[in-house]
Amino acid sequence: MKKRFLFLIALFASIINVIQAQEKFYTKTGKIFFKCTKSPLEKIEAVNKSSICVLDTKTGNMEFAVLMKGFEFEKALMQEHFNENYVESDKFPKSDFKGQIVNNSEINYSKDGTYTAKVKGKLQMHGESKDVETSGAVIIKEGKIFTNALFTVLLSDYKISIPSLASDKISNTVNITIDCSLELLKNQNQ
Amino acid sequence: MNAKKKIFIAIAVIIIAALLYGYKEYNRKNKDLVNATADIQMNAVELTAAFEKNEKEANGKFLDKIIAVNGKVKEINKDEKGYYTVVLGEDNNMSSVRCSMDPAHQQKAASLEKNNVVAVKGMCTGFNADELLGSDVIFNRCVIQNKN
Repeated sequence: MKKRFLFLIALFASIINVIQAQEKFYTKTGKIFFKCTKSPLEKIEAVNKSSICVLDTKTGNMEFAVLMKGFEFEKALMQEHFNENYVESDKFPKSDFKGQIVNNSEINYSKDGTYTAKVKGKLQMHGESKDVETSGAVIIKEGKIFTNALFTVLLSDYKISIPSLASDKISNTVNITIDCSLELLKNQNQ
Repeated sequence: MNAKKKIFIAIAVIIIAALLYGYKEYNRKNKDLVNATADIQMNAVELTAAFEKNEKEANGKFLDKIIAVNGKVKEINKDEKGYYTVVLGEDNNMSSVRCSMDPAHQQKAASLEKNNVVAVKGMCTGFNADELLGSDVIFNRCVIQNKN
């Protein structure tokens, strides 16, 4: 009798565990692409392959964090200018987004498919925080969640200044694309 | 050759040299770290501890440096696009050093196994403190130096 009781408790506990564990999905290898929308002379684009993204499927809360020095440009000089003159990564090493999928209730995370997600939140970059919103995609496939969103931002909103000499070569408008493949965060019981 | 011509040639050479330098510098790609000498050698556990103790101080010491980190492989991650990340650290510690491999040299990472002791050389890009997910020191453009 006692054995059965203990077994039921254990089963109950593990079910609770599983339900709780099914809330958060994450990645530490999220891709963030940074691209100047207008750069007539050359491509000004970079990728960061080590961003952290966490999505709470229950609430739709979504956060991502990225280290500015992790943005890789094809040309070293461009990367140096990006870090030293534009985003000043020594002073502001991190950028993050804290927001929400506002139509989270329309997404069925347990059913494979592609859903449109309206994302709203605060983007912090170069020490400045601004409200941003966009429409992205949430793709559920075989237990994994793929998120894709494009934010168009103005560098001037984040006090990132482009010297007038370069202003015809580098646009103030930048496209930031998030591309993440999220997996379930399993309860870490140490 | 008279003096005037010599000076003219000298100036032309200098201008051409400057232009070439400018062109090279402009097109310079990020240095492949395979042949680069590490500025610092450190153990993965000590490195994470340094950032956990004082992030600002550690940033000053380690950011933008080429560091050869040695440690035990916790995980080899291959993401949905085929990029490898080698995670170094101790199993009983939630903190790690995450080494995003240089795509040109990541085949060596593919042959690594958990608990291998390796030395990875890469560029330190910073620290992500996170209680929920575990704190990580992040590296990129990594190459495997040797494997024990």
